[in-house]
Amino acid sequence: MSTTNNSFCREAIRRTMAHHAGVSPDADAIAEATFIIWNLVEGKLAPVIGMKGVDVLFRRSMHLTTFSFPWLASAEVHTDNASLFASIKARLASGETDASTEAGCTFLLILTELLTTLIGESLTWRLLGTVWKFPSPNSEQENVS
Amino acid sequence: MKKVNIRRLATGVPGLDAILGGGLPEFSFNLISGAPGSGKTTLAHQIMFSLASREGPALFFTVLGEPPLKMLRYQQQFSFFDMDKINESIHFINLSDSFIAGNFDHVLSRITKEVEAASPDLVFVDSFRSVMLDVQHQTRNMLSQQQFIQQLGIQLSCWQATTFLIGEYFSENDPHPVFTVADGLLSLSQNVHRNSMVRKMQILKMRGQSTRPGMHTFRITSDGIEVYPAALIRDDSSLSRASGGLERSKERLTMGVPRLDDMLGGGLPSGYSLLVAGPSGSGKTILATAFLVEGIRCGEPGVIVAFEQTPSQSWNPTIDTMVRAGQIGLINIRSLDLSMDEIVQNMISLIHKMKAVRVVIDSLSGFELSVAPSFREDFRESLLRMVAVLARLGVTVLMTSELEDRFSDLRFSPDGSAFLTDAIIVQRYIEIESCLQRVMSVVKVRDSAHSHEIRRFNITGDGIVIGDRILGYEGLLAGQPTKKNVTNPVS
Repeated sequence: MSTTNNSFCREAIRRTMAHHAGVSPDADAIAEATFIIWNLVEGKLAPVIGMKGVDVLFRRSMHLTTFSFPWLASAEVHTDNASLFASIKARLASGETDASTEAGCTFLLILTELLTTLIGESLTWRLLGTVWKFPSPNSEQENVS
Repeated sequence: MKKVNIRRLATGVPGLDAILGGGLPEFSFNLISGAPGSGKTTLAHQIMFSLASREGPALFFTVLGEPPLKMLRYQQQFSFFDMDKINESIHFINLSDSFIAGNFDHVLSRITKEVEAASPDLVFVDSFRSVMLDVQHQTRNMLSQQQFIQQLGIQLSCWQATTFLIGEYFSENDPHPVFTVADGLLSLSQNVHRNSMVRKMQILKMRGQSTRPGMHTFRITSDGIEVYPAALIRDDSSLSRASGGLERSKERLTMGVPRLDDMLGGGLPSGYSLLVAGPSGSGKTILATAFLVEGIRCGEPGVIVAFEQTPSQSWNPTIDTMVRAGQIGLINIRSLDLSMDEIVQNMISLIHKMKAVRVVIDSLSGFELSVAPSFREDFRESLLRMVAVLARLGVTVLMTSELEDRFSDLRFSPDGSAFLTDAIIVQRYIEIESCLQRVMSVVKVRDSAHSHEIRRFNITGDGIVIGDRILGYEGLLAGQPTKKNVTNPVS
């Protein structure tokens, strides 16, 4: 993914997170929002690549996210994804709001990048495009003014 | 009462509609089978991307075969993979979860549900064989394989969908129920022989229409699959003049070599195939070049299929210049794994494009080397089909053939294929007074008088210069002629 697209994607994820977490969210709201977005992603991908494929993508993305956010990693071995989800959600909810926001956004970004390396940018955006809240074309101008 | 008129769908795969007998019957239930790597999924995708539209969408069900992520990763390398169609007119649906969770009933009901929701024109199920194998291991499947296939066939045909099951190993000895239910069976194979790999396709069955029999070679490139239908030799005997059937023109083509037209009895009859046989360096390519140059002069475009020299390597830049000027078409073949049909298809396309009247194949020896080893056994038969196809196109063909000088016998082609041609010119070296000289003779012009003389010829800066008949010597064809009479010098 190119630098420009990476920042565009990061911004889209941030906006999506803000949309689902609400105004002045706490860590609990961020954890909830992260998993709402994840469920939307899952809903888009599972019909195409199957639940097994989605589960593997989740585990790999979360594994990569823990390099930057070691506190997300769990010492327990989770054989099923449901318990892994629950564990990560609890960790996000108990963290600092800013750190949890960063960790949640990074996880979603890594997931998108992982999918991009496998099936390409175009197809990734084709499949997941409706999940994200894109910056409006005028937002930069708005910011400048 | 009118009979049902089955619409034939153009598959978008070059050459496939021809071997299917005019396209794919609408609402047919088809099986694409072949070993892993034979191109089944690529063929299915190519058909799907060509046919799917907003009005007639396609559903591609993945079951237990190739993982969907990998399939999407690799298939988008092909130029036909149109990203804009994904989730618009093409929908990928993974059924592995339904299948693992349950049995055939779940798969069938899931497919039914999706088909009813989307009303697709096209349905693909990949991979079918893995479904079958998996079900064999289930002890409590509610539906048998045959019931599943029959119900799926009925369901999808009645839902007005053209369906493809993509399978793996289906041998002709395996009386699989799908063979009975399917309307069409497309079998793909690949064979490796020495360093060449040849892919072949066969239409084992296509209900209600006459398919082109036999194995047809195909190639997978970045544009997808291209099929090269095996050339057919058609019976033209029933074609009358009134029906516009084949009738050879009485016109003759000039050869571009002074005196050669006289030797041929007034030029080469139009539509004939001429074999120019001779040893290396005897001037076959120069004669072929002169034939093409003369064609340009007469307003008769040409095509050259070169297997040995590139234009820049030829005796002079004549061919190169003509190719660059667009006056002749060039097929320059360096590969060693081609099929005769692939070459013929390329030739036909170029002949049509150039509106060619003259065709040169230089040389048959290089041609034989260029085809994959598995085709060399049938080279003569393939040559016969090629000559027949070119004859139907009405072009006049000059083929060269490298012929090692054998002074013990008189041969015109290394593999006995000379009889396929309408006319033969043979070139040879002879030794006279410690000098190597070239001679040329017209051996055959079908249904035409021609010279029987053995003429000396030279290759000069202006091309081939044919001299007079060699008199006073005998045993010319033995390579070392002897003087018959001292008083009769060489003329």
